[in-house]
Parts: sequence; C-alpha cells; structure tokens
Amino acid sequence: MSGKKPKKLSAALTHVGVYFALFLFLLPFLWMVLASFKTQVQILNTSKIFEITANFNNYISIFKEYSFLQFIWNSFVVGIGATIFGLILGLPAAYAIAKYKQQGLGLLILVARIVPGISFLIPWFIIFSKLHLIDTYTSLILSHMLVTMPFIIWVMIPFFEGLPHELEESARVDGCSIPSAFVRVMLPISGPGIVTSSILAFIFSWNNFMFSLILAGDNTKTLPIAVFNFISYSDINWGGLMAASVTITAPVLLLALFAQRYIIAGLTGGSVKG
Amino acid sequence: MTNWIDRNIKWVFTMPAVIFVALMMVMPVGYTFWLSFHDWNMSNVTPPLWVAFENYKVLFHDELFLKSLKLMFYFTIASVAIETVLGVGLAILMNQNIVGKGIVKTLFLLPMVATPVAVGLIWVLIYEPNIGIANVFLQKLGLPGQEWLTSQNLVMPSLIFIDVWEWTPMIALIVLAGLVSLPKDPYEAAMIDGANTWQSFSKITLPLLKPTLYSAILLRMIDALKTFDIIYATTQGGPGTSSQTINIYGYVLGFQYFKIGQASALLMVFFVIVLSISIFTILLRKRAGVNL
Amino acid sequence: MKKSFVGFKKAAGYLALAVGISSSLVGCSSGTNTSSGSGSTGKTEKKVEEIRVVAANHPWTESIKALLPEFEKETGIKVKVDSYFEDQLTQKTAVEFASNSKNIDVVMFRPLQDGKMFHKSGYFADMTDYVGKEKGYTDDFIPSSLGSVKDGEKVFGLPLVTETEVLYYRKDLLEKAGIEVPKTLEELEAAAKKLNDPAHGVSGFVARGKRAAAVTQFSSFLYGFGGDFMKDGKSAITAPEAIEAFNYYGNLLNKYGPKGTLNMSWPEAMAVFTQGKAAFYTDASSLFTNATDASKSTVADKVGFAPFPAGPNGTKPYVVTSWALGIGANSEKKDAAWKFIKWVESKEMVAKLQAEGNPGARISVWNSPEGTAKFPKDLAAAIAENGKSGTPYDRPVVINVGNARDTIGDVILAAIEGKDVKAAAEKADGEFQKILDSEK
Repeated sequence: MSGKKPKKLSAALTHVGVYFALFLFLLPFLWMVLASFKTQVQILNTSKIFEITANFNNYISIFKEYSFLQFIWNSFVVGIGATIFGLILGLPAAYAIAKYKQQGLGLLILVARIVPGISFLIPWFIIFSKLHLIDTYTSLILSHMLVTMPFIIWVMIPFFEGLPHELEESARVDGCSIPSAFVRVMLPISGPGIVTSSILAFIFSWNNFMFSLILAGDNTKTLPIAVFNFISYSDINWGGLMAASVTITAPVLLLALFAQRYIIAGLTGGSVKG
Repeated sequence: MTNWIDRNIKWVFTMPAVIFVALMMVMPVGYTFWLSFHDWNMSNVTPPLWVAFENYKVLFHDELFLKSLKLMFYFTIASVAIETVLGVGLAILMNQNIVGKGIVKTLFLLPMVATPVAVGLIWVLIYEPNIGIANVFLQKLGLPGQEWLTSQNLVMPSLIFIDVWEWTPMIALIVLAGLVSLPKDPYEAAMIDGANTWQSFSKITLPLLKPTLYSAILLRMIDALKTFDIIYATTQGGPGTSSQTINIYGYVLGFQYFKIGQASALLMVFFVIVLSISIFTILLRKRAGVNL
Repeated sequence: MKKSFVGFKKAAGYLALAVGISSSLVGCSSGTNTSSGSGSTGKTEKKVEEIRVVAANHPWTESIKALLPEFEKETGIKVKVDSYFEDQLTQKTAVEFASNSKNIDVVMFRPLQDGKMFHKSGYFADMTDYVGKEKGYTDDFIPSSLGSVKDGEKVFGLPLVTETEVLYYRKDLLEKAGIEVPKTLEELEAAAKKLNDPAHGVSGFVARGKRAAAVTQFSSFLYGFGGDFMKDGKSAITAPEAIEAFNYYGNLLNKYGPKGTLNMSWPEAMAVFTQGKAAFYTDASSLFTNATDASKSTVADKVGFAPFPAGPNGTKPYVVTSWALGIGANSEKKDAAWKFIKWVESKEMVAKLQAEGNPGARISVWNSPEGTAKFPKDLAAAIAENGKSGTPYDRPVVINVGNARDTIGDVILAAIEGKDVKAAAEKADGEFQKILDSEK
C-alpha cells in the first residue's frame, strides 16, 4: 500500500504523528512515576520539575505504615476468585447461548453489563449483612463476579460461535456426554479466548472501586479503597499518593504489557466480528 | 441422568449463570424499584413509608436532577464524539507500516487498563492550579494558568479531557482491528478510477467500518454514561454541582443525604435511560447488518 | 494475615465444591457421580472478647491505636479499629447500622453532622444508664459539649474532640510588613490585602471554599456579622447580616485567595498554608499539629495563632464538639464497649491524648497546666478567648445536615466567584426552608 519515493515524507510524518501521540498518552504515567520518587518539597517546587533524587521513602512508608501488602493480597484474592468463578459459570453459559442461539439470555447478560452498579449498593449491603458476609472475601467475590461473568460471556459467545461444531459431534459419537465433550474437547481449543476474557475480567475486578467501597472492611479492603483512603486526616501527601498509585497500577500495566495480544483481541474481538 | 442432562443442556449450562444474575442483579433492582415508591432515610425506627409516585414527582421538579441529566449527556456525547474522531484518525495512522507497531499498540493500552481511581489522582496532581504540570506548561508558553478542575466553567472540559485520554486508544485499537480485516479490492478499484485519499476514505473505508464503529461507540457510550470512579476521585461532583452527573447525584442523595426513596427513583430513571439508549443502539446496529 | 488465610481457605472450599459439582457432569460414558469437597467453614470460636471500633482517620485515632495494648492488658478485651475518611465514615456506618448489623460496638461520629440523624434513626444504644451508674461522671465535661450528644436527658454519646475556629497567621510575614495581628475582620481584610503577593506565590488569605466543607468555617464569620443559619425555625440566610457575611468571606477568597479555592476542604487549604503560600488562614484549632509539625509544614516555626477576629457584632466563633463516641444499638458487647469508652474518656487518658494535640472536652484537663502544655501558648490563649463568647454549633442544627450544608455552600461558592450573592442566597433560602419544613 505504501508507495515509494514521494511517500517517504508522509511515512516520516506518520511516524512522528504516532510517536508524538504515544508520548502524550504516556505523559501522565511518566509524571506519576516521577512524582512518586520526589519529596513533598520537590513536588511543590515547580521551577525544577525534572529534578529527582531517587528516593524510595514514599514507597517504604506506604508498605510499612499503611500495610499495602495486605491490600495487594486482598485485591489478588478477590480478582482471582471473581475470575475463576466467573469462568465456571460463564463458559458453559456462553457455549450454550452460542450453540443454541439463546439470544434472550444473551440480552439478559448484556443488561448485566449495562446496569449502573450503583443501583445494587443498598440492597446488596442489606442482604450481605443479613448473611454476615460484610467484610469477607465471599461478598466481594460475589459482587465482582457481576462484573467478570457477564464480560466473560460477552467475549466468549462470538468465540464459541466461531468454533467448528463437528468436533463436539465426533466426541459425542465416542460416547461422551455433552458436558464432557465440552470440557474435554471444546475448552482445550478455546485457550486463547479463555485467556483473553480472564485477563480482562481480572483487570476489571482489580480496578473496581464502587463495590469494594461498600462491601469491604478493614480485613478485605482492596487497593482502590486503600489508595483513596490515603487522602487522610493529614495534609495532602502527593509523593505518597503517587507511590500508592504506582503500586496499584503497576500490576495491571505489567499484565497489559505481557498479554497485550490477548487484551487487544478481547477488547476488539467482539466488535469487529460480524 | 446423563441423558437428562444432554437433553436439557441448554438450561443446565445456562441456569447457574442466569440464577446468579437473577439473585445478584434482578433482585436488587427489584428492591430498588420498590424503594423508589417509599420514603425512607435508612432509619431503623421508622420503616419505609409508601408515598406512591411522590419521589418521581419531586425528582422531575428537582433542578439538580435535570442539571445532572444534562451534564451526563454533555459528558457522554462530547467524550465519545471526540474519542471517535481522534480514535479513527489514530487508527488510520497506525495502519501504516510503523516501526515497532507491536510495542506502540501495547503502550496505547495502558491508559484504559490503569485503575481509574489512580488515574483520577494523577490528573488531580496534573491539574493542580498551583503546582500542577498543566499550569507550568501554560506559563512556559506565556499563557495564564487555569483553575481546571476547580473552575465551574472548566471542570467539565477537564473531565472530558481525562476520559478522552483514557479511552481514545480503545476506539483506535478497535478501529485498527477493523481496518486490518477490510478487503483490499475496493481500494484497488478506486485507485484505478482515480479516487483521492479522502474519497476512498469517505466512500469505502467509513461505510465498511460502520459495524465496527457502531460496536465501539456502543461500548464506549454505556461506560461513559456510567462514569463514576474518575469523577468521584477528582471532583466528587464539584465545584458546587458543576460536575455532578446523575451517577454522582444518585450517590449523594443515597449515601450523603440518606434520601433512599428519592435516590432509588433517580436510579430507576437512570437505569431506564441507559437501557433504552443501549437497546436503541443495538437496534441501529442490527439495521446496519451486524449481529450481537 | 491469619484472618485472610481463613477467608482464602473458605474460598478454596467453595472452589472445590464447584469443581466437584462440575466434575460429576464431566465423566465420559459412565454415569459415576462422585461429589466431593464440602466447603470448610473456617470460623474459629472466639474466646477472647473482641470489640470493633469504627473511627475516622483522625489524629485521635492514630494516638489511641498506639495505646490499645494497655487497655487489652488491663481488661482482656481485644479492640479492633477500622478507620475511614470522614465522609466515607458517615456512609459506611449509616449503611451498616441501617441493615441492623451487629458488628459496630463503638462508633466515632460527628455530633453536629450525624448525631441527630443517627440518633433519630435508632443507630445508637442508650448510654444514659452507663453514664448514670458512675456518680457525677458528666460533671467534668464541658456542658455545651455534652449538650450536643444528648436528647433531653438521654445520653447517646460522649464528647471526644472539641474545636473552635482560630486565625492561623505567618509571624514572619506580618513582622516584615509591620502589621499587627488583626483583631477585627476589618483589620484582617486590610492585612490580607497588604500581604497578598501573587507574584511571589503568597496569597493574603486562604480558607475552605469547597461547597459543604466551607460552611462550618464560614459560620464564625456569619455569627460575627450578627447573622445565623436560621432563626425560630425559619431560614435566615437572606438576612442583610448574612448577605454581608457571604460577601465578606467570598470577597476575601476571591481577591486575596490562591487559585483553586472552590475545591478546597481543609487538607487542601492547610497544604497551601503549610507550604508557605498564604499569610492568613482560618480553620479549626484541632488541626494545628499539621501546621506546627516540621515534618509536614515548611513554616512550622513561623506559625502564629490568634483568637477569631471580631466582626461588627463582636466575636462569636463556633466552639463545638467535632467528634464523639457512641455505642452501636445492635452491639452484643455493649458492656465491653462501655468499658472501652470509659477508659478512653478517663481523666488520665484525655490528659494524655490532649498532651499529644487532641483537644478534649474535660474541664479539669483544660484547667490543669499539663492540659495545654504541648499547645503553642498563643493557641491555648486563643482557644480560651474564643471559649468566652463561643457559639455551640458550626452548621445548621437540622437532621439532614448534609443536604443543608450543600445548599448553603452554594451561596458561599457564588460569593467566592464574585457572582450575585443575593440571588444565590434567595435560591438557597427556598431550598433550605424546604429542608426545615420537611423535618417538622
């Protein structure tokens, strides 16, 4: 598509454009990392914005004084739990919806993705406290599953639609029940789809703020709440806040870097197909 | 047993998920619906009191509600429109032979996967009128510093800017995936007919991209309507009520004023709005020849 | 970590259960059903009594956490403290109480903000009997403070932290310019005007400008001009004195304030002051350690304190109980909760905590020299001076304080932006009156 000599200039311009845009989009992250290594005094001094003296005090203090390790652990438990259970419920459902064209159910799942989360908060809190489940991983995982499961189904329906049904048929001929054909034959070839949907589901759970705000307590407080709480009853400690922000975003950013292929597929797959 | 399962596999496979959604979503929404006809301030002494449509009546005469509705649409339409235009542009740029395309694509993912609360805090620091880099930058250019998130006039554009930063890459990546899968023949035919770049873009690329664009816009719109984390982490609806979208107002009514009945009524209206917009877009998409 | 491990085991149990169920469906050709793994319920029996204290992120909470081992050793009662930022605390406790949760034993609350509503909603246990059992227990508490946690003769809390609005100022700047510490609002305005030097990054004055947060700090100005939030159950915010006060406060921040005041609650405003970017600052006395602690403040040794300046109507700054402790209505460990409250509210403890910079509500502690030993001298004097003619509330005394504060905050906002205050006040007046009427 791209031509020869006269196109050289335009190719160069394209590169400049793309990389400049990229730079703009990465700037806030750069700024966050930079500030997380600064002391309060350095942050307040706007005349030398790029002066840093690699200073880990902000990080040391958030781990030592504010037990961020515990919050990271909480976020992992909830994220992984919500993803695994989301898969267990979501995969068979997506398969059946895809195979039997149950569009009504598909719509119901879509609605779950659409409804504003804030509508659940009051009822959930009342139900979960009646069950003594406030400040437990169970309530957090259940609530986060309402984010992960519909998403998994949403990504997996088109994926399953694209799989050849002959495979299942031949497994059935071998004497497998449909569930076992599903688990033994269909799931193994769905690896990429499952990886895609799980990674994104995990990220959504990790990032969720609203549900944990109401359902978590001191034992199960997830990172977003902990970071927000950091704006506490003392003056605004920008260095600490940015160190906390780095801590919370680093895992998802790393995940995104390593699994980018799957993430792009997940975000774009459902919409490009068709 | 096995036979029974096989015969009813449609239901066996879907029921757990459906029951889960029913318990976790339909029931709470039903409860919210019920509460929307009652007056209750979370008291343990006075139970919810039936007031019929009073909450809805009050709501539609509530200036703040109407304002929050306007702000929500302003935020959504402006954000999604800008993101679509910029995203398509970026996708077309990225569709060329770019050195290090894989890495570029990966890095563009970062804004949208980063935790919104943290994103909000980063931008609060960037926009800080006295020490933020936004004003440092303006002053370097010899322009006066702005108050950004703390100005009643600039707060919405500033928030929209954050949203555009966060989500333009998503539109770009979706459109890019769509561009890659486009057939090559129409372009060759157009070249022979002597069409210029703009003509082949508007006459071929755009129509072919339509389904992809619809999907991307639908996804973005649903999420933009529901934006909560970013606004809560940056302005909490302020200054005053200048960035109080319906989502934030619902939270304020429910969890700060404890007007549960009225908050529930608002949430029901919100719910209906989001749902009907979604259904409308899906129908539109169907007419454009795409299915779910 | 132990608790989280238990939770994890529980989650793992559910996982085993789920996998078990699905594995029973999966077997090929044969219909063997082997169900496995019942969820292990990892609840350990508690022998030691443990109470849960839900508190604010506040210097008091930090101080008390360090002293808990003493209490645990003394009584054998374990104390678990959950702390949240103030707005979140209100939400969290209200939602928890409203669902009849039994999990809150002791709650830290703001009597003027949540007290009335929480009490009316039946969230608090009645403490009258506990307090009554101890003879003359309440005599040592500042009466107005105690009044804010009582409903008639019923006691639903004990005052914990008291505060009043004082003037924070920069000694060095005033000295350099040869300005006396302002004693009246008029002098304050003149001084702020003189010291306002945006070119060198110093504003004349800073205070809260964020909608609801500003209302409490504005209240002393309002009283000084002779106004009040309401009179005889009617909104009074359109009275000429009130309009004057709105105009004065807004004008000060508009003309001599830093950028971005509209989003400033106290952490932001305090930051401006402690970074040396403002000459005057009015806010609660209980926040003073932020300004005098050298690790947080660049002007720690240059901060002076003065009584709240007098307005045309004299000095009537608020002197309030900002925090109190109550017992959860559904708590199953009310006795243990009371033991804890009695301990933290004891003379010795209040003295100790006050020495660390947490102004309490006990008269004897204030009267003893140790009570104010750690306070800067001028601050102690300012607090005492304010106390002589203080107003016992810093916000409208209604049930739905949150709503009322936002409504009045809108007028402050309009004033800071230099908009038509009268029009804004008239609009807010109607809404405020509606709130008052709905609570009749």
